[in-house]
Amino acid sequence: MASYQESEHFAEDFREALEDLQVNNRYDIQNLTMIARENTEHALAIAQTLQNHIKRVASHKKLPSLYVLDSIIKNVGTPYTLFFGKRLFETYMDAYASVDMATRRKMDEMLKTWKEPIPGSIDTRPVFPPDVTRPIENALIKARTSAMAAQQQHYRNEQQLLGRGRPMPQQPPVPYRNTPTPPNVRPSSQASGYPGNHSNGAGPFGPPAQAAGQYPQHQNISMPARSTPQPSANTPAFQPPYPGGYGMPQPGISVDALNNDIQQLIAASRAEFARNPHDPSIQTRLKALLDLQSILQTQNLPQDQLVLIKNRIAELAVTIRATPAQTPTPVPIAPAVAVAPPPSAPPAAPKVSLDSLLGPGALAALLARSSATPQVSTPQPPPATMAIRSPPPQRVDLPKPAAPAPSDALSLMDMLRKAGMIPPPPTGPASGSTPAPNHMPSMPSLPFPLPRPAVTGPPTVENMTLDISFTPSSLKQFRPHLIPLLLNSLGTQCTQCGRRFKNDAEGKTKKTAHMDWHFKVNQRIAEADKAGQNRGWLVDEQDWLGTRETIDVIGGVPTAQSNATQGGSVAKAPKMQYIPVPDDPVLLNSVCPICQEKFKQVYLDEEWVWEDALCVGDRIYHASCHREATGGSSSVAAVKYSGGSRGTPEPVLGKRKAEVSSPISTYIFFV
Amino acid sequence: MSIPGLGHIAPAPPPGSAAAAAALVETTTVKLQPFWEYRFEVPASTTLTIRLVNGTAEKDGTELAPNTPYVFTRMKSKINTWQTCELEITSPNPDGYHAYTSMPNNPDGTSLVSYLNLSFKLEAARAQVQRSIAAAGENNISAAGMGPRILVCGPAYSGKTSLVRMLTAWATRRGNQPMVVNTDPTHGMLALPGTLSAAVFATIMDITTEWGGTPSSGPTAIPVKLPLSYLYGLRSPEENPKLYRVLISRLAAATTSRLAEDPDVRRSGMVIDTGDLSADSTTGHDALAHVVSEFSVNIVVVLGSDRITADLTRRFAGQKTTLGEDIAVVGLDRSSGAVERDSAFMQSVTEAIIKEYFFGDVRRNLSPHTQQVPFDAVTIWKVVEDPTNASSDEDFYDPAASESSLEKVEPSLAMASCILAVVYAGVHDDPDTIRDANIMGYVWVAGVDEAKRKLKLTAPVPTRLGDRPMVFGNYPEPVIGLTG
Repeated sequence: MASYQESEHFAEDFREALEDLQVNNRYDIQNLTMIARENTEHALAIAQTLQNHIKRVASHKKLPSLYVLDSIIKNVGTPYTLFFGKRLFETYMDAYASVDMATRRKMDEMLKTWKEPIPGSIDTRPVFPPDVTRPIENALIKARTSAMAAQQQHYRNEQQLLGRGRPMPQQPPVPYRNTPTPPNVRPSSQASGYPGNHSNGAGPFGPPAQAAGQYPQHQNISMPARSTPQPSANTPAFQPPYPGGYGMPQPGISVDALNNDIQQLIAASRAEFARNPHDPSIQTRLKALLDLQSILQTQNLPQDQLVLIKNRIAELAVTIRATPAQTPTPVPIAPAVAVAPPPSAPPAAPKVSLDSLLGPGALAALLARSSATPQVSTPQPPPATMAIRSPPPQRVDLPKPAAPAPSDALSLMDMLRKAGMIPPPPTGPASGSTPAPNHMPSMPSLPFPLPRPAVTGPPTVENMTLDISFTPSSLKQFRPHLIPLLLNSLGTQCTQCGRRFKNDAEGKTKKTAHMDWHFKVNQRIAEADKAGQNRGWLVDEQDWLGTRETIDVIGGVPTAQSNATQGGSVAKAPKMQYIPVPDDPVLLNSVCPICQEKFKQVYLDEEWVWEDALCVGDRIYHASCHREATGGSSSVAAVKYSGGSRGTPEPVLGKRKAEVSSPISTYIFFV
Repeated sequence: MSIPGLGHIAPAPPPGSAAAAAALVETTTVKLQPFWEYRFEVPASTTLTIRLVNGTAEKDGTELAPNTPYVFTRMKSKINTWQTCELEITSPNPDGYHAYTSMPNNPDGTSLVSYLNLSFKLEAARAQVQRSIAAAGENNISAAGMGPRILVCGPAYSGKTSLVRMLTAWATRRGNQPMVVNTDPTHGMLALPGTLSAAVFATIMDITTEWGGTPSSGPTAIPVKLPLSYLYGLRSPEENPKLYRVLISRLAAATTSRLAEDPDVRRSGMVIDTGDLSADSTTGHDALAHVVSEFSVNIVVVLGSDRITADLTRRFAGQKTTLGEDIAVVGLDRSSGAVERDSAFMQSVTEAIIKEYFFGDVRRNLSPHTQQVPFDAVTIWKVVEDPTNASSDEDFYDPAASESSLEKVEPSLAMASCILAVVYAGVHDDPDTIRDANIMGYVWVAGVDEAKRKLKLTAPVPTRLGDRPMVFGNYPEPVIGLTG
């Protein structure tokens, strides 16, 4: 076993190496895999470090880190499979919840490979055993189902709201169904999901940026969509506006720039819709985007609404890009607006719904503000739902038609959970800022409970203490999250002694045993007070070594005098045991299965009994034989068979074997 | 629940008579905010009853049960809370005790927080070992790793034993079973002073005593712990370094064997208490280093002395435990509530512990047995001080140094009121075997009649004495009037 410090240092180095992994770089991942292969003695530390890293890093760095995990699993295998497997559910679901849809697809593909044997390996077992991957799958399916149901509900609500005057969706699903997948995208994400397989070095992370490794911050520069924003399917990326200026309304927001952004989003949505024609959320979103586009083109919106729309668009874009902080500075001619190409938006229906994109609450809030916006022609009344709604973001460069829709609710949960860690986008509509990008439309509360990591349970004490090191400064730092581990999370207190028992079934069983113990002990204390007690001798070293601590068992602690014949000792060895002579003639001739000797018949309490006999199941043993054979564990049963109604038998019945009952009795001192 | 034994003496007043009870004793309520501590010093002459009214509170890591009165006497300690709590303090003699509340504003930097973090770091290591034990299988646990072995040392009154108790209690609360080892002969742990001992703590501790009781013939409301103990018979390791080392090695061998067989203990590791360490004492440092090496200690915590921390860091730098781990040395602040316990107070504590051994306490009356034994029927050995060999280095084999640390003595008046340890050896065994044997129990020399050549011995158990050799040393000192 490697020492703590060594492992700790090693883990620190490994963590630093992980920090350098910004993008999906095969060489870096191979290097890290190599490190893991050559240091399996630190496997645990590496596994923990990596899983914590995945948990901690910004969402756009999660995929490369997950690929490191994938690579280690596939190229090294044990013991990492074991260590990663324990927390895989947690690691995977946590990452899944916080990444964008594109990354989710990648993760889906990766998960798929985990259920299969390693390609080219003679081992036919899957990468991870099914009991590791199945809970993840189940959770994902559950999440998707819930999300879909919520989406459909939302869609219905919206239809109702819009009423008859609302135009039918201009873009029925069918026309998009045959939209080809962009050919330049498909190869970049094979089913394996493992970046090392890509001969061209382009990773599946992010858009199909050939230069991803070198220019992570400018991946989209080479995107055709920037210069030719026609709604073709292969416009995977668009330039997100500079995020820095969204906080407050700014003058001079270019409607053209907004149009352009929307145009790209529409293109992206269409491409996605083509691959997921059955996903109503994409459809809804696409329609909303088209509506928004027509609003912008046909109406003269006030600046504050433009700001709202722009922020919303930026949120979507930023989320999709997943590189908010690294977005290039916008061109100077349109301050705070990144994309300048002239829009070439297709005509759209005049009657539109901002709500479908921004959420009814957002618009209502907007309308309620001092700067009234009467010119907005959206006719529907502000819905009562306060929800901040927005369509989920979309990705274009995802080739797998089978890839399921993302669960927006997971994202929402994640945003809530991560609040504080990743700066969450402002969500107050009244402030003119925008809601969380992945928010579930029309769902004021959590649409479904995030599946608990049933496999891994709560965070382990190991994970929660990784940041503690054996230095005074680290030890002195207060970590409030540790306190519950000693209090509430241990369950409720025993009212007699203060010990805590968990509230689960096992804890309840233990508590019952514990309360029984208290009851019996209290009873015996009362008896013992009358009889008088004395201190016992301690056991000798051999017995001490053989002792196992017993919890909530009467007489659990042996003393060297426990066999001593003195009054008041309630911790005596098992009493003389006997059973009535059986009536069954077959049994009458039975012998002890252990020593093959017959039982001795004596007359006791007006009845013939077999002394030193014990009935276990349907067989009769010499009690002393059985005790020796079972190491005394039958003493409880023996007491039961000795019969309470009969009273205490005389201990002078010439017991044949009982005097060798226990090694402890070697040390009996007779007065 | 009433405190066992108290129920007969002072039945709880029926509801409504609270006012009457309040007239007899003063009741105060103390409310503690998170990280506050209620520190109290109760002399032997009075008692202090503390009841947790609401919230959560703990003493040395062990949680107080709600609404259960805990009676303290002859104790300087504290109750702390991580959340909030309300304590009801009752004392028959309000002027007889001292108490105050420590109110730190900021949890960061309080010694308790660093102890808690330390404990959780140990918990993480235990969880790790637990997995390796599970992987290795119950029958092959020696192939798995071993839980952390942590040693707590420091100068006098730095709160070493309190920290050991806290680490033990916190581990126990989370279902672990640490092996607690006391290498400080000045104080006994589940044993009389002058004894080195070890015990597994799997269940809650008795917070009204230092460590709880040892097994007796009757049941106890708080499970007793079963110690393995060896008689050193002297106050400090310096008085016979050779004997000290031998006994430490014995204790280490036994505890390590237990850790090799018992998966619960193996996972939990050891918590080792040590005697006061003076920064200038070479012998003390050597003895400590011996403990560290024998118990394969991998974490050394130094309380309240930067100098000792630096010395030990230097000393253990580059050293590995037998399991190949580095030895981490970390210096922490002394326990903020640790107070000086003067020799008179300690003497009183020692006497109380000895008395409790034979007679029990207010909750549990024990009946010792006094008998007359002829001089010829007993074999008594005495631990000798070894000042001449104090500097001899045990790391080297020295055939000339085989002289035993024990000498056989005839019963005499000098033995009166002494505490003798009965050990698991034969009366005819050689001195080294007797020296290495573990303690069965203690007897008190109630009287010596040199004319009749008879000893009057008080033993805890009414059994014949004389089949086993008895050993004693200069420490603990003779207890006059134990029965008085």
